[in-house]
Amino acid sequence: MTPLQKALQTGRRQFFADCGVGVGKIALASLLTNACSPNLSAADTEERGLRPKASHYPGKAKAVIQLFMAGAPSQLELFDPKPELAKLEGKPLPPSVIGGQRYAFIRSDAAVLGPQFAFGKHGQSGMELSEMLPHTSSIVDDIALVRSCKTDQFNHAPAQIFMNTGFSQPGRPSIGSWATYGLGTEARDLPSFVVMSTGSGISGGAACWSSGFMPSLYTGTRFRNQGDPILNVTSPEGIDHVQQRETLNLIRTLNQHRLQIEGDPEIATRIANYEMAFRLQSSAPELMDLKSESSETLALYGCEAEKASFARACLLARRMVERGVRFITIYHEGWDAHSNVSGNVKNNCKQTDQASAALVKDLKQRGMLDSTLVVWGGEFGRTPMVETNPLLGRALGRDHHPQAFSMWLAGGGIKGGQTYGATDEMGFHVVENEVHVHDLQATLLHCLGLDHERLTYRYAGRDFRLTDVHGKVVKALLS
Amino acid sequence: MRHAIFFFIFFSARLGLSAADEANPDFNRDVRPILSQYCFKCHGMDDKSRKANLRLDTREGALSIAKSGEKAVVPGHPETSALVRRLFSEDSDEKMPPPSTKVRFPKSAATVLENWVRAGAPYAPHWAFTPPIKAPVPSLKNPERARNVVDQFVFARLEHEGLQPSLEAEKPTLLRRLYLDLTGLPPTPKDLDAFMSDASPAAYETVVDTLLASPRYGERWARRWLDLARYADTNGYEKDRQRTIWPYRDWVVNALNSDMPFDQFSIRQLAGDLLPNATDVDRIATGFHRNTMLNEEGGIDPLEFRYHAVADRIGTTGTVWLGLTVACAQCHTHKYDPILHTDYYRMMAFFNNADEPDFTIPSAETTQKRTEIQRKIEALQARLPERFELQKDAKDDAKDDAKDDAKNGASTHEPAQQKRQQLIEELFHAWEKAEAQKAVRWETARPQSWQTNMAKLDLLPDGSLLASGDVTKSDTYTLRFKQSAEPITGLRLEVLPDDSLPAEGPGRAYYEGPKGDFFLSEIKFKSGAVALKVAKVTDTYSKGGIGGSSKIGAAFTIDGEPATGWATNGAQGKPNVAVYQFESPVSLENGLQVDMLFERHYACPLGRFRISFTKDTKPLEARWNSPALEEALAKPPLERSASETALVRNSFFETTPETANARKEIETLRASLPRFQPTMVLQERPPDNPRQTHLHNRGEFTQPKEKVEPGVPSFLPPLPAGSKSDRLAFARWLFSPEHPLTSRVAVNREWQAFFGRGLVRTLEDFGYQGDTPIHQELLDWLAVEFRSNGWSVKKLHRLLVTSATYRQSAAVTPALAERDPQNLRLARGARFRLDAEMIRDSALQAAGLLSLKMGGPGVYPSQNPLITKEGTYGAFEWKPSSGEDRYRRTLYTFIKRTAPFAMTGTFDAPTGESCVARRDPSNSPLQALTLLNDVIFQEAAQALGKKCEAYQGDDLARIGFLFRTVLTREPTQEETTLLANFLNQQRATLAEKTPFAAAQSASWTALSRAVLNLDEAITKN
Repeated sequence: MTPLQKALQTGRRQFFADCGVGVGKIALASLLTNACSPNLSAADTEERGLRPKASHYPGKAKAVIQLFMAGAPSQLELFDPKPELAKLEGKPLPPSVIGGQRYAFIRSDAAVLGPQFAFGKHGQSGMELSEMLPHTSSIVDDIALVRSCKTDQFNHAPAQIFMNTGFSQPGRPSIGSWATYGLGTEARDLPSFVVMSTGSGISGGAACWSSGFMPSLYTGTRFRNQGDPILNVTSPEGIDHVQQRETLNLIRTLNQHRLQIEGDPEIATRIANYEMAFRLQSSAPELMDLKSESSETLALYGCEAEKASFARACLLARRMVERGVRFITIYHEGWDAHSNVSGNVKNNCKQTDQASAALVKDLKQRGMLDSTLVVWGGEFGRTPMVETNPLLGRALGRDHHPQAFSMWLAGGGIKGGQTYGATDEMGFHVVENEVHVHDLQATLLHCLGLDHERLTYRYAGRDFRLTDVHGKVVKALLS
Repeated sequence: MRHAIFFFIFFSARLGLSAADEANPDFNRDVRPILSQYCFKCHGMDDKSRKANLRLDTREGALSIAKSGEKAVVPGHPETSALVRRLFSEDSDEKMPPPSTKVRFPKSAATVLENWVRAGAPYAPHWAFTPPIKAPVPSLKNPERARNVVDQFVFARLEHEGLQPSLEAEKPTLLRRLYLDLTGLPPTPKDLDAFMSDASPAAYETVVDTLLASPRYGERWARRWLDLARYADTNGYEKDRQRTIWPYRDWVVNALNSDMPFDQFSIRQLAGDLLPNATDVDRIATGFHRNTMLNEEGGIDPLEFRYHAVADRIGTTGTVWLGLTVACAQCHTHKYDPILHTDYYRMMAFFNNADEPDFTIPSAETTQKRTEIQRKIEALQARLPERFELQKDAKDDAKDDAKDDAKNGASTHEPAQQKRQQLIEELFHAWEKAEAQKAVRWETARPQSWQTNMAKLDLLPDGSLLASGDVTKSDTYTLRFKQSAEPITGLRLEVLPDDSLPAEGPGRAYYEGPKGDFFLSEIKFKSGAVALKVAKVTDTYSKGGIGGSSKIGAAFTIDGEPATGWATNGAQGKPNVAVYQFESPVSLENGLQVDMLFERHYACPLGRFRISFTKDTKPLEARWNSPALEEALAKPPLERSASETALVRNSFFETTPETANARKEIETLRASLPRFQPTMVLQERPPDNPRQTHLHNRGEFTQPKEKVEPGVPSFLPPLPAGSKSDRLAFARWLFSPEHPLTSRVAVNREWQAFFGRGLVRTLEDFGYQGDTPIHQELLDWLAVEFRSNGWSVKKLHRLLVTSATYRQSAAVTPALAERDPQNLRLARGARFRLDAEMIRDSALQAAGLLSLKMGGPGVYPSQNPLITKEGTYGAFEWKPSSGEDRYRRTLYTFIKRTAPFAMTGTFDAPTGESCVARRDPSNSPLQALTLLNDVIFQEAAQALGKKCEAYQGDDLARIGFLFRTVLTREPTQEETTLLANFLNQQRATLAEKTPFAAAQSASWTALSRAVLNLDEAITKN
């Protein structure tokens, strides 16, 4: 046995024990997977915490693409037809309906605003969708539309953080971190959890893709629209590929010497990480280079190869899934229609409808949809009541509405062609099959083969879960 | 499976430390962890979630008859104990824990409990909840290696287990370890040389004392404390705007450098404002709990996020001083530890009674500068009449007169001067007359009673009302004025600044909207049941905060539309006036009621204001004049007092166009008045307006239940009899001599800093779910010692670093790797990666770039500007600092919570969003990319390369210098060869592309870059 192998074995034993005495730093499952066959290549290619791990039970989804419609799209203009609202337009809702709900901007006696767009039935399932979603309308038989989502939060930052981490304050791991922690990564040359964004700034900030109290290894890696897709992925000016390799060779040799002297397995991991970093330097540009994509594909998404857009991000997400990335979130922030909800919906649909549908079609035609879960939706819904505020120059908008909103899911374990849950005639409350954010999170993890009640992480004396002490898998959504 | 393995390891780790008697399990070490992990959730403290009327956290509970009619535990009789039967049962109805919990309970744990029941089921108090005592210091068979008491404890264990301590680390390694631990910076080659050449036996101790006295010490240790304090330079959440609290950060550095005793250090941070004779510095220290986040998102409920901030204070206090997961009891009684749901809110009550103002730090220097400028202004004001510039025709008149005088042979220009004076007087009188005509006689109206939805209003001697207490998005003030015989024609509302208000007021907006602004949505006047009609509304100034300015103004406070109204943004710290003229004179036979509504998507009530009435029948206008001037002007000149006369005169000179040029200088001076530095503090509320604390059902802000009074959990020592129940009492209670937790938690945290893991691994949890200490006697000895040495952190640090335990080599021998891979027995030194800040600081120091400037606002080292821009809501322009601020210690880097400085985040530095007791160091490819390619390390490599090139000697000497600079040691022969080969390889390659000199430099840069990337460069060993 070489000193390196010896060190690795020691290290593995050490981590075993680390998990045992308290806060498990590394998922135990990963250690079990590889504990019996310590070999150099395992350490050379993957970090300890990110090795592929067995799921709790076979999951249909291997990867998730979360299309996070930040700002909260209006379900009443897109997914949840409410003709009754047109009749009530201009009148306030009865206080009994509103209850004690607090609002961000409007008074609770604000008048009702009727739906701004017509709805039509589509596909074999006859799913009713807005005229603003012509492309999504073409994939209705592949998607499950949930009209009965509900959240606890009515402000953007807390609600976005809640949707991602199951808790409204920053500090807990996001769902992408949980997925990576639970399953490890299949990606050899790319991060396992990637975050992209288009539109305006994201209210919840980095807390939305933070690993919280887990090691930063599980934090989402930002892919940026300008410059280096990953920070520092380009060598400094004047250092070419050969020189970078020569430098890394020297670093590796010296680190190996050190490993022999110290016997510290962290050094072995560092050596592996430098190799991974070097591969990232070519794999990231390769990923971003869309030359290999056909013009049909680019046209399907409606994107230009060089120009950052939501459509390009969707196409990149498919390429990432092909390369083994586990969890991808694309934020498109801009749906916060406090004013002119019809203009807002038109504009955002123009940017997202075609590409969202194209992603599902593309995954399907490549045979990847069954193993890739696509989730589309925002952090809450919008009020049936109108928002008007002369001071803020607002008219014909809608305020934040946590009680009821819509999302859709497709692929990886989801039964398409169904509409699930319902709201009352005013679209105010859920009246059938409520899907709370924690239920949604439980269902997402379930599709990945993870039991949300068993996927725990010990921190500060407690086994934390993404769903806290809540959440149930929505079985009816599953295929 | 997972739990089974978990359990196996859990116990093997513990048992490994001392041979356990399997038949007689130790309750604290072996039994309670099982009960806590698997049973307490349903059979513990929390009576709300307790099942089967069975509790296992007390012996009494375990032995009594449960709902089933059986006894869970019959001491000495596992065969009749329902607990044991059910643990081993295969029947899914009977089995415990129930299959529905998905908990896999290992058989080996069942055996432990079975043995425990057989042994009589003894309970014992939790080790951490009984006060620490000093055990006798063990004597050693081979005492020669021991240097102090720490070693006697540690080596006694090693002797007992037949192990040897490792050899002392080599001198350079030791020096590097010591420098990094005490100052966060590696030694320079010069420091190394000095140490190597100091042959005295106290050479090491000399360095220790020098480093403890170095200002760098406070900077290094402040960073650890700031992790706990969740320090950041922005507010967090969506808007994540900048805040000013760096004076608190600097306070921490200074306190640590001056070795402020830990009890004082803590009490000042928790309750410095309440100390008798609290100093300004004591108040700055309370910034500790102002580091909570502030949500400025439009439309939030400010009271909800205030509640979250207070909850954060409770959780953080629990982590930092108690080592308890107190936060778990926010929603329900703690599932494991004896902390009741009410205990949580009783602790909250200590912290809930504070206001959160900005404290303007008094400064003698600033005061003096201000006084000097003020004097200059006054002198200039006095000279205004001299510098009066007459308009052209008036000037010509004066000149003509002067000419006439000259013609007439007058020898002086006095007559011209007289003429000029006369002209000025004429102008003054004309002005005075016009002003007097417009002036209105106002009388301050003091309300007889008032009522608000939330705020407390106090009537000040000048008749104004000052608001304090909490605010909401829709605040109402109702003022009632007494009857009056004479009818009034109008009402004046003055909005006034006050030091107690955000940005000095006049409003109370402190988030989302402009600080210190207000928004008066609607105002209504009523006499009896009759609503009074207003004919005309005017104001002196109006400007909105957020949103269009089209409908901002006092005129919009009577339009019936709450969305429009009056604000005076931009005039913070200044008074303004609105005047309401009634349609017809109003009799106040039935008194007057004024209803004010302040409603926006953020809280924005008025902070200080005054109401006056007039009976004047002339047209009423809001005028700039101060009330005193207005009053003086409204009087006939002869009735004015001397000071009123002066006021009127001065006012003329200060407003008339003829002094406009002369006044420019005054305005410039006014603008140059230096401002006092503000910082965020806690301030106990006045006794007449306490904030009541309620228990919140399920921890929900929207579900307040019964009122609670301040108090501490009953399993901990009580508050001293007769003590007040305020924050200060709580802070002092933490340091009461019988407190079992505070000193243990503190010394354990310091231990972890040096040895990589705590004696209790879970720094943040000393409760039932926390780890048992790997060496309790040592921990307790240190805890008692820390308290009795006057809580001196420097003495504690000195004790630890001068121990032989600390000075051991960190190398892992195969034997030790086999026997104790986690180094629980401390038979070797610790080896772990440096913190993010140390990595950057070390590289900058090696490069000779590091600036040692201390304190002040956060700085902006270079980084990709997209980091704070792309996809960030409050897009933030990261403008790199210039000069030495680019290279300050990383402690001073501006911390933006939602888009943190990328380099530190990549190396596991926290974002300041929550209290972090222990960083979990990771090892990732992104770290490699940062060290290889980030601009920080590029610059460091270039500067270091230049230093190497400039070093006197050949390549080999320079390589030695490079190693000493970065790694604090000489390279081995083999390493030198490798480095020299690389250097020559680079030269050869680069020579093809670049001129000779450039190729030389670039090669040294390349070599420096490689060495800065070595694992050893970012590791302490």
